[in-house]
Amino acid sequence: MDTLKLEIVTPEGLIFQSNVKSVTFPGEEGEFGVLPKHASLLSLLKPGVIEITLPDGKQESIVINWGHVKVDENKAVALVEGAIPLAGGSESEIAKRIEEAKKLLESASDSKAALAAVEARIEKAAKII
Amino acid sequence: MANLKDIKRKIGSVKNTQKTTRAMKLVSTAKLRRTEEVAKRSRFFEDAINQTLSEIAASINQYKVGGIKGRYFEKPEIQGVVDILFITADKGLCGGFNYQTIKTVRNLLQEYEKKGTKVRLKAVGKKGIEFFSFQGYELADSVIGLSSSPDYKEAAAFISRSVQDYLDEKIDGVILVHNGYKNMITQEIKVVNLLPIDTSKFEGSAPSSLIELEPDESEKVLESLINKYIEFNMYYALIDSLAAEHSARMQAMDAATKNAKEMVESLTISYNKARQESITTELIEIISGMEAMK
Repeated sequence: MDTLKLEIVTPEGLIFQSNVKSVTFPGEEGEFGVLPKHASLLSLLKPGVIEITLPDGKQESIVINWGHVKVDENKAVALVEGAIPLAGGSESEIAKRIEEAKKLLESASDSKAALAAVEARIEKAAKII
Repeated sequence: MANLKDIKRKIGSVKNTQKTTRAMKLVSTAKLRRTEEVAKRSRFFEDAINQTLSEIAASINQYKVGGIKGRYFEKPEIQGVVDILFITADKGLCGGFNYQTIKTVRNLLQEYEKKGTKVRLKAVGKKGIEFFSFQGYELADSVIGLSSSPDYKEAAAFISRSVQDYLDEKIDGVILVHNGYKNMITQEIKVVNLLPIDTSKFEGSAPSSLIELEPDESEKVLESLINKYIEFNMYYALIDSLAAEHSARMQAMDAATKNAKEMVESLTISYNKARQESITTELIEIISGMEAMK
């Protein structure tokens, strides 16, 4: 099975590095999915959720506030300013992460409608986890 | 010759100082290691953003008539005002670390004054702020606490005030001065012209294949990236400066510990001498008493 290498980097360090099956980015001009062998692309990202499907079918979500992503054939590098992975060992940990993620988004965006849309996505992503 | 008790007290106090300096050295060593780790992690971001910027710049140069344009790159020189940002530590006891930065800033100040350019000083770190306020310079902006615990958001807020002034054409350039980390035993003054950006830094590596940009205006993407690039540079300078501060303090405290050790040694010798002297005096007294009895 084809995979693509995904790296997510913040100024504080590398937070995600793995081979993935597919990934969805919140692009400035709309959400877009990336599969292996995607054409070279550079896009700005807006506040939202990066959704990752791992080779074993598991889902992961990472909330970001700003960034850009560069996609090459088999590699995607996302540079983001603030990122919070929605994952954790326990329910309470996940709930804490969701709170943090919401705070991160509030500081990044002033559009209430956009915010609500992203929050809904976070809730949905959290349910899958 | 001072009396025995005095010398003994002195030895005790020097030994105490030695304990403190040794502890401070150990603390700095540990902190330096941690800061180095942070710097190492940030370098991923630096590499990635540098690469992306050069690829975009190269593709614009290649496909667009006139090359890169925009406020970020051009040198207008109308206002005759520049911003000098400098980073010093919040704390002292780190040898010449802060003074070197201050000296460089003063030289820059004089240089610009000769040219008739006005300079706005913006300071991060208590030591620099204290020095320049004492000298009667006016600081346009100052932050305390950021240099001892670098935070990306605060760094971004600090630098973006200058960037905004630059975009509003209030100033002609932004210069960042800090004392950076070179290795465990040396620090290095770094003077960086943050704005206008020197595009030659990004040239050379043409993209491997044609990149599709989204949004389609390459300038907009580039500007947005450059904003982050500047913010990141500020943040990285803070980390670099913190690492340098710890390494400078480590050295200063090491030297202090050594000096204290030498001092204890020389004091011990004079203590022994004084003791011997008092014994000799006593002996002479006894002997001469006996002689007198004869």
